[in-house]
Amino acid sequence: MTDPRAPTAAAAATDWDALPDDVFRLQVRAWLQANCPEHVRFPAGRMHWHECRDWWEILYRQGWIAPAWPRALGGMGLSPIKQIVMVEELERHGCGRMPDQGITQVGPIIIRYGTPAQKDWYLPRTLSGEAIWCQGYSEPNAGSDLASLQTSAVEDGDDYVINGSKIWTTLAMDATHMYVLARTDRSVKKQEGISFLLLDMKVPGIMVRPIRNIAGDDEFCQVFFDDVRTPKSNLVGALNQGWTIAKSLLGFERLGIGSPRRPQLAFARLEKLARARGLFADPVFMDRFTALRLDIADLSAAYEVFVEQVRRGEPLGADVSLLKIWATEAMQRSSELMIEAGDEHGALGGDSDVDGVAMNVLAPFYSSRPGTIYGGSNEIQRNILAKAVLGLPQ
Amino acid sequence: MTAAAALDQRRLLADSVADYCRRSDPLRRARTLRGTDPGFDRSAWQEMAALGWLGVGVPEAWGGLGLALAEQAVVARGLSAAVMPEPVTAAMIATRAIVGCTDGALKATLLEGIVAGAILPALAWQAMPGDIDPSRCAVVAAPDPAAPDALLLDGRACFVVAACGADGFVVAVRTPDAPALCWVPAGTPGVSLSAHRLADGRPVADLSFERVGVPAGNRLAVGEAAREALAAALDEGQFAIAAELLGLSQRLLDITLDYLRTRTQFGKAIGSFQALQHRAVDLYIHLRIGDAAFDQALRQAGDGDPARRSAAASRAKARACETARHITREAIQMHGAIGFTDDCDVGLYVKRALVLSAWLGNARLHRGRYAALVPLDAVEA
Ligand SMILES: Cc1cc2nc3c(=O)[nH]c(=O)nc-3n(C[C@H](O)[C@H](O)[C@H](O)COP(=O)(O)OP(=O)(O)OC[C@H]3O[C@@H](n4cnc5c(N)ncnc54)[C@H](O)[C@@H]3O)c2cc1C
Repeated sequence: MTDPRAPTAAAAATDWDALPDDVFRLQVRAWLQANCPEHVRFPAGRMHWHECRDWWEILYRQGWIAPAWPRALGGMGLSPIKQIVMVEELERHGCGRMPDQGITQVGPIIIRYGTPAQKDWYLPRTLSGEAIWCQGYSEPNAGSDLASLQTSAVEDGDDYVINGSKIWTTLAMDATHMYVLARTDRSVKKQEGISFLLLDMKVPGIMVRPIRNIAGDDEFCQVFFDDVRTPKSNLVGALNQGWTIAKSLLGFERLGIGSPRRPQLAFARLEKLARARGLFADPVFMDRFTALRLDIADLSAAYEVFVEQVRRGEPLGADVSLLKIWATEAMQRSSELMIEAGDEHGALGGDSDVDGVAMNVLAPFYSSRPGTIYGGSNEIQRNILAKAVLGLPQ
Repeated sequence: MTAAAALDQRRLLADSVADYCRRSDPLRRARTLRGTDPGFDRSAWQEMAALGWLGVGVPEAWGGLGLALAEQAVVARGLSAAVMPEPVTAAMIATRAIVGCTDGALKATLLEGIVAGAILPALAWQAMPGDIDPSRCAVVAAPDPAAPDALLLDGRACFVVAACGADGFVVAVRTPDAPALCWVPAGTPGVSLSAHRLADGRPVADLSFERVGVPAGNRLAVGEAAREALAAALDEGQFAIAAELLGLSQRLLDITLDYLRTRTQFGKAIGSFQALQHRAVDLYIHLRIGDAAFDQALRQAGDGDPARRSAAASRAKARACETARHITREAIQMHGAIGFTDDCDVGLYVKRALVLSAWLGNARLHRGRYAALVPLDAVEA
């Protein structure tokens, strides 16, 4: 019997990548308008699995859950440029981010480095949403300096035995699986003793403790491992190859994090607030508002330059992270201007009635914080640009 | 022209400018010509004419290269990177106004003379500092009671760049019923110059007109044609100035990065200090954002709609001013005391940037114009 939730035959048979870019864009747009549930649009924070499971299943049935994966493995097989179109349309429609690390991170890694058995077992389950993944990289004492991580995996019979702790693990409470970087050799350079392991979150010895974030939400967790066993068949790639494998994801995916879309949405909220507060008549406010508006418009121009590079089939250089720096910091400036524009409303937690308009003045303040911290903090990005692009000395 | 041919054309122009700058030591000339009048070198002007740069945007029928704003920007950018003292952009703006005027004998004579380097034009239009609205010029043209068809000009125009070396002025005037553009040769009775010294050592002048006679033949355009010729010249001028700001910013950033790599303190290159590295990266980001914004604005301006062109010019100029502001200020700081000396080239770039930033509207004015011209709902939400 066929699974009623499985992709339709028509979806599986369509070669989306064969469509011209603009036709594809319009089809995606129209389909999103017709099919995307209202409750996953413009969410305030990260969506939990129970909040977006229906949307996942709609995308899955359509065959659109994994734009970057090859068609033979259940993906859309899109070229880089069409993947960008897809992301742009999802963002444009305000589709919130799902617990998608299986699709965007570990899936591509398994496709590239996994054994046939790993591919057969994990890939279909990752697509269907049966396996929801979280990323176990950061530790209490290994953040920016991730390679110094201490969580250990020791061989014992057919298993690795894991001890230690991961932290800031986004949506670990929802995840069925985790991909883990663990130390498997302490005698070598720190980058050379790390392995990439897959882990079922239901095995004994795992404790997940949600950590309330500054906005009051439980989005990330600390995860403790006490003699947790994962079979050796869950080692991805060769032993001690984990660092290289984890780093291999840095491709044109990095464009997404510098997309102008999120700053544009933040700016749209600022505009709404400023209108409600009658600030367009204030020349001091208007100058700062327009400066920010141009910061975001000019970010779009720079983003286009990199998109063009992808379109020409050229690899992206280290300079692409300038987009992330500019985008995340423009969002923070936007959130600051909102607080100022909100006057006393900027002191209220939660929604308030701002001159007849319901708004949460502080939401962008909170939601614009992580962008400069994760994905390689903006300081780390600047370190990289200084060396790799400007050639400044060590 | 195909996109590839246009790229080649731009590369050729950029190469010829860079080559000329290598040969002619513009930084030294910029330094020695400071405080002099007219503040540039007429023989260099002649060389630039021979290279075709004075007629880049002039149609081929009048001896020019017949190229677009993008190519003029390449020339402006390259010359500015070397702090060239010659007022190429000022002349380009006046020339652009003439190109937009009604065809006639005077237009042909002027353009041919300009392209050949024989006539250096300047544009006199601005009513007062801080006002970049071309419709508000302060020179009034009344019919000359003594000569039918002739006009008498009265009033003033401020901040006329290159006024001191110009052979004549394109003057924006208000006649009783329409705006007009007239040609007034330098030295015409009733024209007086009140010169000021710009921060970069070149002169600028306020012009005043007292019963200045303009024969009918010196009227370049009247009414809508005059209005659009002036507006286009100013918008394109703002683009050219933005290109200059980016060109000098790029060169100054290179100079500064070199300094960070070579200057040592505490036993190592100062460029190894993270505080400076991060700030250098920020300057680089400003430059990249500035370049991208400029190119996109240029494309937006190219669609022929005057309001979009003005908005795009404001966007380009506002951004270029910000880019240059960050880079020039940090260049001084990162050079330490030497950056504060008159001997150091950094100062030449800083002062040129100050001049270019204020000319034809600073960042604040252009943000204001952008906001007024581009409705907010153009921002997709
Ligand atoms: C909302 C959120 C979700 C996250 N989700 C996950 C997840 O799902 N899985 C996961 O593994 N991790 C996750 N992280 C963790 C994230 O990857 C780390 O926060 C990040 O790597 C920074 O590490 P840290 O927080 O330990 O900060 P630290 O590395 O301790 O940095 C503290 C400060 O010092 C600066 N700094 C550090 N080193 C340098 C340097 N060399 N030069 C200059 N400045 C420096 C940093 O930029 C930062 O400002 C998440 C983080 C956040 C905020």
